[in-house]
Amino acid sequence: MKMDFSEITERISQKIVSKGHTVDQSRIEGKLRRLVEEFGVPPSEAERTVTNEFFREFGISGVTVNTGDQKEINQFSSDEWVTIEGKVVALSSPPSPAIAQTGIFADTSGAIRFVTWTKANAPLMEKGKWYRLESAVVDEFRGVLNLKIHSGTTIKEIDDNKSLIPDYTQINDLKPGVGSVKVKVVQEWDTTHERMLQSGLLGDESGTIKFVIWREEGMEKLDPGQVYSIFYALVDEYNNRLSLNLNTATVVPEEGDIEISSGETSFSGAFVHMAPGSGLIKRCPVEGCNRVLSRQNYCPVHEIQPNFIYDLRIKGWLDDGQNTRELLIQRENVERLTGMTLDQSREIAENNPLGMDEVFLRMRDGILGRYLTCGGREIEHRILVSSCEFTSFDPAILADLLNRAGGEA
Amino acid sequence: MNQEQGRGGNGKRDFSFEREPAKRVFAAELRESRIHFKEGDDEKSPSYVLLPTGERCNRIFLVGTLTEKRKQGEQNMFYRARVVDPTGTFFIMAGSYQPEAMQQIARTEPPSFVAVVGKPTIYETPDGTFLISVRCESLTEVDKDVRDQWVVDAGKATLDRLDLEGKTPDSARAREEYKVDGAIFRRLAYEALAQLKI
Repeated sequence: MKMDFSEITERISQKIVSKGHTVDQSRIEGKLRRLVEEFGVPPSEAERTVTNEFFREFGISGVTVNTGDQKEINQFSSDEWVTIEGKVVALSSPPSPAIAQTGIFADTSGAIRFVTWTKANAPLMEKGKWYRLESAVVDEFRGVLNLKIHSGTTIKEIDDNKSLIPDYTQINDLKPGVGSVKVKVVQEWDTTHERMLQSGLLGDESGTIKFVIWREEGMEKLDPGQVYSIFYALVDEYNNRLSLNLNTATVVPEEGDIEISSGETSFSGAFVHMAPGSGLIKRCPVEGCNRVLSRQNYCPVHEIQPNFIYDLRIKGWLDDGQNTRELLIQRENVERLTGMTLDQSREIAENNPLGMDEVFLRMRDGILGRYLTCGGREIEHRILVSSCEFTSFDPAILADLLNRAGGEA
Repeated sequence: MNQEQGRGGNGKRDFSFEREPAKRVFAAELRESRIHFKEGDDEKSPSYVLLPTGERCNRIFLVGTLTEKRKQGEQNMFYRARVVDPTGTFFIMAGSYQPEAMQQIARTEPPSFVAVVGKPTIYETPDGTFLISVRCESLTEVDKDVRDQWVVDAGKATLDRLDLEGKTPDSARAREEYKVDGAIFRRLAYEALAQLKI
């Protein structure tokens, strides 16, 4: 029986080349053929033996790690060759033609993103199956470890039905890479991009984190207020802020509730600017959209929507003289602060030559330049206001200040 | 102690947008300001006025009594207005680049309490006099309670700045440039606060 050694030969050659040496492929094949055909050595063992032999010949250090030590994912470090057994828990669409497959590979210790180069000609792996990967390379890209599958990597499907349930990580302990969390959907935000299916805020006992789901077949939105187990989400980092990309994740609704770490802040200061887009606004009526329409009733996703829904909101800046916070105040609190209800505002807009601008101007005149205390969830200097009040002159503070100013004069 | 001083230290801006806070300062202190400078060489770099009590300001927030307003110019119409606090007068300006503020001034009749957000600017006339005015971003009519809160706010800000005397780069610079006794501003704050009823 004549066996084809070209694949193994190529792999060994690659490894030697990667260490800065070259070797005639016919020499590799000759040694392999001899071991397998004359001595009955299994091909995988022959591969190891021949590789070691050449490594010794070229004085390449770390000879024994020719295929990389078998390690668990949480022991990986950058720039090492590894052998690993694990499960493909997620596949994602490759971002470029140079990449044949991307996804997440997991074992009982953790999970890591993997990339298979197109030119590696490697067999594609299937989600949910277990594999043994020999001679994969761990490297670091933007601070995140990745597993690279190249032409020198051997991929073998293995029989393993071990159930793999990842440990949850608390939101505050997440690091860039892959993470599993048990969380509640705290907020749903207006999507800022038409490729985005949903974005918002997830929370657990330790804190909150932004999430995003991109439009893709089979992706579904999360329900606000619902608790979910989210396995193998991508933890991305941008401008030192983490966010979760759920497109790779397995999402399972859970019973019960989670006490969210409040993240509630309170900020007092003068309302120094009311931003355009405040006042009476129109929202897209398409279910689940809710985007703010332009003056021409145009939704960035659903185009012209003549049957829009009216809403009130105020965006602006609160300023205490040292720090500033952007405010986003929703209808209920807008009504309380301005004393103008949604119905009244709509009536003003419909019966006034300035239309919706008139509502903006009246609201502005009612709150600009005033002192406010706002409570709510703060994300990146922006407060999603859940409570809001005008403050008033406090004689006790005045008395303290008089003492302070006079006492040391 | 505040972001832009930290930023000034390494000459770098954070990635995320940070709005310049509006400093609280009494008219009598603002009037004494002479030093103004730009942070960075970019045309869009913010410019600052250094207050005698030792803090830079790019923007201020003030509440006082609008006592007078005048429309000026034909082609390039603009408004000048005077807003008075317990220590003196702020000179307010709004031109065609501040249309919103101009309309707000046009609609407001003196005397009335107004809240003003604006950017202080210093002009030096050929004879060496310094004119400090506030280019108005907005002017809104408010009530006396807001005015009283502002006097407390400005008094506290003044005392806070004096407490940091010599402890921040801006404060050290102000002490060197203005050579003013901080006690003057402490007294100023005291007198302004003392006009309010407890």
